[in-house]
Amino acid sequence: MGQSRTLQVAAGLGAILAWIIIWAWLTRPGGPVPTLYFPAPDDVWAKFVRMWQRPYIGSTLPDHILASLYIVLTGWGLAALVGIPLGIAMAWWKRLKWIVFPTFQLIRPVPPLAWIPLTILWLGIGDSARISVVFIAALVPWLMNSMLAVYSVDRLLLDAARTLGANDRQILARVVCRTALPTLVAAARMALGNAWSTLVAAEILAATAGLGYVAVNASQLLDTDVLLVAMFMIGILGICMTGLIGLTQNWLAPWSVLGARRD
Amino acid sequence: MIERRLERMGVMTDRGKAAAYGIFSLSVLLALWICATSLFQWIEPRVLPSPAQVIRQFAWIITEPFSGLRLPGHILFSLERWGWGVLTAGLVGIPVGVFFAWNPWFKTFLNPVFELIHFIPPFAYIPLAVLWFGASTATQAMVVFVAAFPAIVINSQLGVAQVQKIYIDAARVFGASPFRTLCRVVLPAAAPSIYTGLRIAISNGWMALVGAELVVGKVGLGFMIAQGQENASVATIFVGVITIGCLGVLIDTLVQRSERYVLPWRRVAS
Repeated sequence: MGQSRTLQVAAGLGAILAWIIIWAWLTRPGGPVPTLYFPAPDDVWAKFVRMWQRPYIGSTLPDHILASLYIVLTGWGLAALVGIPLGIAMAWWKRLKWIVFPTFQLIRPVPPLAWIPLTILWLGIGDSARISVVFIAALVPWLMNSMLAVYSVDRLLLDAARTLGANDRQILARVVCRTALPTLVAAARMALGNAWSTLVAAEILAATAGLGYVAVNASQLLDTDVLLVAMFMIGILGICMTGLIGLTQNWLAPWSVLGARRD
Repeated sequence: MIERRLERMGVMTDRGKAAAYGIFSLSVLLALWICATSLFQWIEPRVLPSPAQVIRQFAWIITEPFSGLRLPGHILFSLERWGWGVLTAGLVGIPVGVFFAWNPWFKTFLNPVFELIHFIPPFAYIPLAVLWFGASTATQAMVVFVAAFPAIVINSQLGVAQVQKIYIDAARVFGASPFRTLCRVVLPAAAPSIYTGLRIAISNGWMALVGAELVVGKVGLGFMIAQGQENASVATIFVGVITIGCLGVLIDTLVQRSERYVLPWRRVAS
């Protein structure tokens, strides 16, 4: 088992290396792909190092990253503050669901991005426009999964708690919210994925800093190497954030991780 | 007491009550909207147009050309770009997914490229697509492709990996060649999962299309919204947003309904 895993990792690394070599070969001076359309790997790396130290369109790369992270985490966090309690309440009191859900269903099919022009008109091109678009994008997974989490609570646990004399509030706080944790972690991951990808689009449309802003400017200035740096950073940060949420699952709801490992 | 009254009116089931509550809450929302705009003008029309204004704008865009095209024209252009993107994603994605499951070495080799498409959000590809293709159909189609491709590959791969080994062994015992086994046994068995992948891809692609059209292009529904922003016409934005939402729901419903005709054998299984 251990040996085949090592082999797998080695093969994966080998494949990455092979693709970098193919990439370098295709974009070599006088090669088949002009560097204007796709720059060579060493150019991208050099640009990455340079952008880390010197500002590109106003800020250094770390500052652009921080600007993007600030918007995405604020929108995502606010969506959690609204989505989790509302989702749990909607699943718990069906009348609340009957009242709120139709409006929610009406808004849901609209891609979050379609709200960008509206938020720009209403809120200007400041941070609040982007935060509210990210909020809308993240709210749907937060709310839907919070509802799902309550619905998936084992009936037996509820009955047991009730038999042992727990009242509604205790059941909600001690049984429902605890058993819902793994689903909420999944919700966090989905919401963050949606938020991150929506943020990139929002930054392309209206921003003064951030990775999407860097990407769209690089494209207009034909700085393809900067564009690739921005795209890679967007991808890597996305993976890191998803990974971090995976780690919090170990910490918040260790039993679910054990359960997953068993099968 | 609302419920008592509903029950007296013959609404007994939870479903009926939910519908009654829903209609009630939506009516309240609509009434608030009308009050805030046409009746009392709490909110200026340039910030929030009244329902009547939105309907008038709808009628206007259907009958009069907006930026050169009437609403159906914009819809057709959007559908065309989306169609090309999803079609290419399907044509490339299904074989790639099948071979990912069929041959692990193939997967190991292609995986880095796949992960690149999978983990970088489709919208991050917009600037690159603009750089490569300029303002053509290919630009938006590429963004749709990037959004649709991973779901198709992942679900095709899953479908093939889940085919019971005994089917494949049985086909082989009866003397079928690997190619014949793939076409006659593996693909039909994996089809439901592939179909699920297509369905996800279709709606992901629709979302991505809107983003791409907002950034680049001179026609399409996304462009219409962007133009509404430029002209500070919230009514135009509303028309665009409503059209996009309705088309999205329509497409998803059609795909869901078509499943029983495309995959009749699945009905038996489920």
